[in-house]
Amino acid sequence: MPVINDSTVVAEVTACCEAYEQALVANDVPTLTRFFWDSPHAVRFGVGEQLYGAEAIVAFRQQRVINFTDRKTLRLTVLTLGQDTAVSMLEFSVVVAGQKRQGRQTQVWTRFEDANWKIVSAHVSHAVVPPAEAWLAFVDRAAAAVDLRLDPAFRSGVAENVNRTAEIVGPLLAFALPETAEAAPVFTP
Amino acid sequence: MTFDSHATALEIAHAVRTRQLRARLIAESALERIQRTHTQLNAFTEVTAQRALAEADAVDQAVAVGRDPGPLAGVPYAVKNLFDLAGVVTLAGSKINRDHPPACQDATCVARLRAAGAVCVGAVNMGEYAYDFTTENGHVGATHNPHDLTRSAGGSSGGSSAAVAAGLVPLALGTDTNGSIRVPSSFCGLWGLKPTYSRLSRAGGFLFVESLDTIGPIGRSVADLAAAYDVMQGEDECDPVCTWRAPDLASGTLDEGIDGLRIGVLDGYFSRGGLPQAHAAVETVASALGVKRRIELPKPELARAAAFIITATEGGALHLGRLRNRAVDFDSQTRDRFLAGALTPAAWYLQAQKFRGWWRAQMAEVFRDVDVLIAPATPLPAPLLGQETMSFNGKEIPLRPNIGIFTQPITLIGLPVVAAPLQGAEGGLPIAVQLIAAPWREAALLRVARLLEKSGACRAPVAQLAA
Repeated sequence: MPVINDSTVVAEVTACCEAYEQALVANDVPTLTRFFWDSPHAVRFGVGEQLYGAEAIVAFRQQRVINFTDRKTLRLTVLTLGQDTAVSMLEFSVVVAGQKRQGRQTQVWTRFEDANWKIVSAHVSHAVVPPAEAWLAFVDRAAAAVDLRLDPAFRSGVAENVNRTAEIVGPLLAFALPETAEAAPVFTP
Repeated sequence: MTFDSHATALEIAHAVRTRQLRARLIAESALERIQRTHTQLNAFTEVTAQRALAEADAVDQAVAVGRDPGPLAGVPYAVKNLFDLAGVVTLAGSKINRDHPPACQDATCVARLRAAGAVCVGAVNMGEYAYDFTTENGHVGATHNPHDLTRSAGGSSGGSSAAVAAGLVPLALGTDTNGSIRVPSSFCGLWGLKPTYSRLSRAGGFLFVESLDTIGPIGRSVADLAAAYDVMQGEDECDPVCTWRAPDLASGTLDEGIDGLRIGVLDGYFSRGGLPQAHAAVETVASALGVKRRIELPKPELARAAAFIITATEGGALHLGRLRNRAVDFDSQTRDRFLAGALTPAAWYLQAQKFRGWWRAQMAEVFRDVDVLIAPATPLPAPLLGQETMSFNGKEIPLRPNIGIFTQPITLIGLPVVAAPLQGAEGGLPIAVQLIAAPWREAALLRVARLLEKSGACRAPVAQLAA
């Protein structure tokens, strides 16, 4: 039976988790990449993607546009099994396209010969909020604000469309434009 | 010379100008074909027979007295039913607009085609208020693709593409906001020109998205596109967006070849997703042009997102009054999207408009180093009417919101594009690629298109309708 939650090992892995979280919020791709096992056997299941192998994981991170500055740790649990194996389980909250979401992240860590802890497998999910439903309150208030008396029969379809638009706009809102960027003019007088 | 449905616009004009054929005969023949094929295609919503015959007679009379009848003398054409035709109600694909009075004058582009001797035979079907890629119109029914009647002719200018592909007319006018000329050109295997934003006057067209709307021709020959484009150019104080730049005529330089043009294939975002045909078409065109260079654009997925938001917001705002009073009379295919668009948070819209300015600067850098970019036009050939999903990157995703995945980023900053059609193998469906250039470089694009046409890599034959 391996030693469970040896305090030194727990401290090591917790420090890794915190550094990883910091890199994630900063979208520091090189650091995030170093935390993952550089192997075709590494697997990362994201909220919307299945990535097999370190190469696929890096490629995904490089093209991803995110803004995780609102990401907050709610609860971190670290379980270590012996000196070289650990599992971290994180509950977090994040704002996606103006909507607060609760998420879960599970990572399996292994200590390799070079004494570095690496993530060999990870799984991220968001707690299920029926997305369109979450927009109903917005749809009702926004419609009232522009004097649009919405037929109850159309409410859910409209909420679904707002939700789809929110998903598409998410990365655009996360993209840091220069402060000086002006809205493009509609026409040149 | 005999006249048949395969004749190009310029062949017709030549025959009329040299007195080999009378414009009236051509108009009658087009009107007969429209009548005969209507139940199969459902392309026309209004046939302007009286107008067509009067315009044709005027052309014949000009020829008879030795007056120049214009470069498009006697050429029959159709317009998407969002263009004003004097005396006709401008539907824009809707039921609501049926209550409008008839237009009191022609749209600017229609007036310019008429002045060039062209003969308007009618208005054609479209997706409601142009918020559409398949022309499955809930009020008048779907328009059918002449290559396969069970499939979509594309949208929203689907009546235009069906009429040209079936050989009813050699030319038709469409509009393109997010791909509404390029998508139907792809699905029906035709040449389509989406000019630079503001190059052609939109006055007298029922708009959709002020920041993005353009108008342009769909045809079966590159020279026809150039001829139609040339006669429609020029300033117009009735359209606040229309450019004051001098016209840049494309017809005269069509055969100058592509020496000196730097051409590249778009990589990354544009090389992934969709069916293999879309990417095979790009490779065929690249190899016909001897192009090996690959170019990746900065953040095309965000350009697509920005065009999506601007479309939803401006489209919703344009229709807010109708959404307040007559939401129930909208097509169920567009209603929820317009309603949702009318509620878009301002911060989303402004981020999109700011991104638009940023991307314009980024793309200006790209174009310092290249003249023409090649990309797929649609991620798939014509889908079945009623089809709900498509395969993309190995996933089944909703069809309609994603047909414009390759056309939509380009729209954001108003770049000119020619849709260049490739015909499928025996029994296969056509599909087009986009030839994209920097603003105001339509003439260069049309030179590339002309070379592809001459080489046989791209062509746009009349579809054989099942008897």
